[in-house]
Amino acid sequence: MVALFPLIWTFLTSVKPPTEVYTFPVKYFPSRFTFEGYRYLFSFANFGRYFVNSMIVSLIPASLSTIFATMAGYVLTRSRSRLTGIILIIFFFVQMLPTYLIMIPQFTMFSKMGLTNKLSGVMIIYTAFGTAFGTIMATAFFKRVPREMEEAALIDGCTPFKALIKVVVPVFLPSLGAIFSFSFVNSWNEIFTAVLFLHSDRKMTVPVALYSFVSKAGIQWNVMAAGIVVALIPTILVFAVAQRFIISGLTQGALKE
Amino acid sequence: MTVRKRFKGRLWALWMLLPALVFVLFVNLYPLLRGGVISFQKLTVFNLNRPRFIGWRNYDEILSDPEFLYILWNTVLWIGLSVFFQLVLGFLLALLLYKPFRGRGIYMGLVFYPWALSGFAIGLLWSWILNGQFGILNDLLMRFHLIKSPVNFLSDPRYALFSVIMVNIWYGIPFFAIMILAALQSIPKELYEAAEIDGAGRLTKLFKVTLPYVRPTIVNTVLLRVIWVMNFPDIIYGMTRGGPAGATNILSVEMINIVYYQNNYGKASALGMIITAILLLFTVFYLSFTERREFQL
Repeated sequence: MVALFPLIWTFLTSVKPPTEVYTFPVKYFPSRFTFEGYRYLFSFANFGRYFVNSMIVSLIPASLSTIFATMAGYVLTRSRSRLTGIILIIFFFVQMLPTYLIMIPQFTMFSKMGLTNKLSGVMIIYTAFGTAFGTIMATAFFKRVPREMEEAALIDGCTPFKALIKVVVPVFLPSLGAIFSFSFVNSWNEIFTAVLFLHSDRKMTVPVALYSFVSKAGIQWNVMAAGIVVALIPTILVFAVAQRFIISGLTQGALKE
Repeated sequence: MTVRKRFKGRLWALWMLLPALVFVLFVNLYPLLRGGVISFQKLTVFNLNRPRFIGWRNYDEILSDPEFLYILWNTVLWIGLSVFFQLVLGFLLALLLYKPFRGRGIYMGLVFYPWALSGFAIGLLWSWILNGQFGILNDLLMRFHLIKSPVNFLSDPRYALFSVIMVNIWYGIPFFAIMILAALQSIPKELYEAAEIDGAGRLTKLFKVTLPYVRPTIVNTVLLRVIWVMNFPDIIYGMTRGGPAGATNILSVEMINIVYYQNNYGKASALGMIITAILLLFTVFYLSFTERREFQL
């Protein structure tokens, strides 16, 4: 109840007629359901565009980082080199780095390369974060399977890459789903890098748009609530679908074997 | 296997590792080094391509600001209270969810979902709930005659910090609960049976069996959370942006304000380095305090 209430309340606010939003004592249930807030978002505020942008900067990095993390995690669990331990520690350290700490150097670097105010610049950054965390999750998953699994394929003359795709990946689809959803959720929710990098109206993502709402005076709260609902729905859906994998992935990945 | 074949295997390994390495080096590690350099430069939005070295002046400016100690104290409260209550309540939640009951899966989903949500959006929606004029929390408290007039949770400096901490606790409970629940489920049942045979009551079992067993998990999770919460300006940014009058200003929020409003990237980087140094010191201290061997990745 305590967990769900804020969400329900935001939804109720988003479907209220504007006149019933600012009342005290508070009106709990709207006298009629209206989607004016949502209509405003998508007609005046160009929210459709922001939504598509957000999808782009979440789906592509999530896909890329899942692929990169799977390959890296596979090599790191199967190779006996001493370097692998060092690489894993580096990746773990990177996870702890908050986005905003390195966003300034990233900004100065990317502005020299003309990558600021472009979705591609933000995507590169999100891919890197997803890859670092995904690799840690992937090594935790792969450690649990014996290497005999691919041995047969390797003896048959497959390259390690083919062995990974043909033998390991099919078994690990749920785990890869966890890595994908984690990277998606993180990219979708990221705000500070996005606000710094994306300033023109056509490039904004949903969090950046919400941020600009706050700066603009006179945004009605039913519109704001509608924007919040739109911002939350994708990750709630991802969470609902992938909850089980995420939880097991998290607990396995961050703690022990 | 012939030498040639093994060499080929090595090469494949390198190719498969390469994308991950390149991204992490280029996007994360190199900027970290650059951030160190920038913190000694005068670099603002006006001289983005012509930075100038100014020694320790950025650090000086931050540390000699009378506000700094106040922000530091806010940060300590923010981290300490948030993590402590997240841990205690997360632990209780995990204990409740440990025993199977009908609909436990659905219930877990409903309780854990805040974990996947955007911190900034969470901050915004709570700022509406806590709104001093039209907020539903004030309305409920007044209906139950707990308060006489609306409380300005976020615009009154006396309550603002505790309001944002409360929201952060709400947001962070699921993570602790997930971690601790996983640890609880790995406790062998025989341990409890043995304790029961010895005549242990509920509390004895909790303190003698459960707690020692989940201790490593708690030690790890607390460290992770402290680092995370220190670097988590999202909720505060959605609710107050550090206001009113700096009442909810913590180090990470201050840094973002310097970036967004002063556009002073050199000074912001210096503050970033200070935050990193604090976290590194804390981690070293924490690990030596809790015995290194309990921490395992």
